[in-house]
Amino acid sequence: MKLYQVRKGQFVYYNNELHKVYGVKPIYKKSVHLIRLRDLTQDLTNAVSVERYKPKEFDSFIFNHKAYTLKKDRKAEEGDYILIHNPMPDSLDTYSLNEIEMVEEVDKHGVITSNSHGVKHNEYLLMVPGRATNCHPIDYQNTENVETQSIDDIGFNNFSNPNNELLPTIGDVYKMLESDTSFEAMVVATTNQTVILGSGLELTQEELMNKDKWEFLYNLLDK
Amino acid sequence: MDSKKNKGKGVFIISLLLTLIFIFWGVFFTDNLTKVTNLIYNGSIDYLGWVYLGATLFFVVFSIYLLFSKYGDIRLGKKTDRPDFNTASWLAMLFGAGMGIGIVYWSVAEPVTHYTSPPYGEPFTVDAANTAMKYTFFHWGLDPWAIYTVIGLALAFFQYNKKLPAAISSAFQPILGDRIYGPIGKTIDILSIFATVFGIATSLGLGAMQVTAGMHDIFGVPNELFVQLIVIAVATVLFITSINTGLEKGIQYLSNAAMILSFAIMLLILVVGPTMTIIKVFFNTTGIYISDFIHMSLRLRPFGEGEWIASWTLFYWAWWIAWAPFVGMFIARVSKGRTVREFVIGVLVVPTLGTCLWMSIFGGSALDIVQKTGNNDLAKNITENVSLSIFTFFDYLPLSSVLSILGFAVVAIYYITVADTATFVLGMLSEGGTLNPSNKIKMTWGVIQSALAAVLLLAGGLNVLQTASIAAALPFAIIMVIMCFSLLKGLKSEVEVQKGNKRSMHQS
Repeated sequence: MKLYQVRKGQFVYYNNELHKVYGVKPIYKKSVHLIRLRDLTQDLTNAVSVERYKPKEFDSFIFNHKAYTLKKDRKAEEGDYILIHNPMPDSLDTYSLNEIEMVEEVDKHGVITSNSHGVKHNEYLLMVPGRATNCHPIDYQNTENVETQSIDDIGFNNFSNPNNELLPTIGDVYKMLESDTSFEAMVVATTNQTVILGSGLELTQEELMNKDKWEFLYNLLDK
Repeated sequence: MDSKKNKGKGVFIISLLLTLIFIFWGVFFTDNLTKVTNLIYNGSIDYLGWVYLGATLFFVVFSIYLLFSKYGDIRLGKKTDRPDFNTASWLAMLFGAGMGIGIVYWSVAEPVTHYTSPPYGEPFTVDAANTAMKYTFFHWGLDPWAIYTVIGLALAFFQYNKKLPAAISSAFQPILGDRIYGPIGKTIDILSIFATVFGIATSLGLGAMQVTAGMHDIFGVPNELFVQLIVIAVATVLFITSINTGLEKGIQYLSNAAMILSFAIMLLILVVGPTMTIIKVFFNTTGIYISDFIHMSLRLRPFGEGEWIASWTLFYWAWWIAWAPFVGMFIARVSKGRTVREFVIGVLVVPTLGTCLWMSIFGGSALDIVQKTGNNDLAKNITENVSLSIFTFFDYLPLSSVLSILGFAVVAIYYITVADTATFVLGMLSEGGTLNPSNKIKMTWGVIQSALAAVLLLAGGLNVLQTASIAAALPFAIIMVIMCFSLLKGLKSEVEVQKGNKRSMHQS
């Protein structure tokens, strides 16, 4: 990709992973400043090392450790995250391409974000928490070269986490639903696919995240 | 929320009606309009000129107080907010928004006019040249920027820290409480819109005159009223198209281009013009500006004719005040994340220095040419054709055609960007401070402000623009003084909130 095509805000693949350009400083050798969306770590690179991706409806990706799917069929509500994919800022607005902002107020023309921006309804895609069933994960440019384990790590199978978290983490307390006796246990260890609960019970992540069988109560560390 | 919406509706309709009545009056009873605005103008000057002087000096003192006060550390926005723009871009934007067309229009005309008819002393002398530069610094220095500091800070503080709508009435929340959503708040917003429409129409009128002058200089188009009206019409079509097609991003690029071009012209003149004289003018005038500041700030002529003061100092103070809601809104939008101290340094101190430098480069060079050539006719020519003055001045410099084209481009771009941004600000102000004004309302204001500029030009050009803005800004000057006390109250409560937060953090 040529330098003049790299713009602030663009989604790009760098090292096969989804990043966002947060600055372009042409006079430097490593002129493109990136932020990796899944964990917000920063990278410096040059224009030839990145490839642009234009996000669209039903794309899903991890942003700051949480999975979201882009949708445009419903209007944002207070507290939702939006991705400004079609920025048409008024003369005094300061937002630009692909900014992710939280909605603070909704009116008939658009939303007002917590960053004091007025964004019209046709300027954003709504970031719905979780991976929708028909979504298109965009975290990696080429998933063939990515180890399955790595894909799982970023939550490709995570469709229904009750707390919108990626995966069960240490400190999560779960309650077993299909049981005659009351059974609550905390996640004390995790391996690649297996979760170990405090009672010594071992089960897969998918089993634990089945809403019919287990209910997430809280995380000990959040209390 | 509902009260906010209802408030928006009332404010929009009443301020629109008031402006339409004024336009109707101007179109069908032009002579009467001229007569009445003159009457108000003379009344304002004779009886209330001191209000402008006192209020503006107060804003300077108040801004300097804020700079050194304990409120300096308060951040505009959340404590974790950081500025959207780096400091250099921020300062460039403030400079462009605050002065825009005016600085190009007056930077040559004003010093030369003061030189030919000074506030006191003999014209066409060295003393007259020094006085001319001193008053130019005065009119474009601390005072306008202090006005912007007060209003910009109040708007930013109440919008970001108190989470109130982006309306002028929000700045009165500490005094009025929820009454900002009632009739008093509405009245404040209507007055601010009225002042803004006139301030912007004045600038658009000046802009149209200068765009026409530029076309006359470069392409030989006749420099007359009819062409000025065509310029207004074409510009109106352009920015209304931009509102409807979402080209606002393009307007931002244009705005940046105008700033870069302005700095390019300034540097070019510094290099090809009389560099040493410019440097001397800058230092000398800064000295006499600082030492004579209080005298100039309070100067009225109780035992003589105050015509000079009325047509210059009071006009400027009224113009800046009328222009203040617009610029204040802009400054507030780009200053989120700055501390109060950074804000005051950035809006009061740095642009004042920048403006003085600009005026030294343009005005100093123009006076140097007039003085060196002993060409009094040139001076008279500049003062009689103010809108052509900058192009006349360029003719005496090397690379004159390049400078003329660049100058014309800057004025034309400023014209469009100001008109476009103004529609957004008027939309916000008249819809209860929403950040999503509807396109219909923006377009309505776009047409109205252009019509008003055209009417004012039809009614008698610059003189009527001046009288109209003085009349429209007077009530708003008083509102701004009250705003200072409200801001102070708000800042005080913020300090207490922050102290309280710290205490509770320590306790926990």
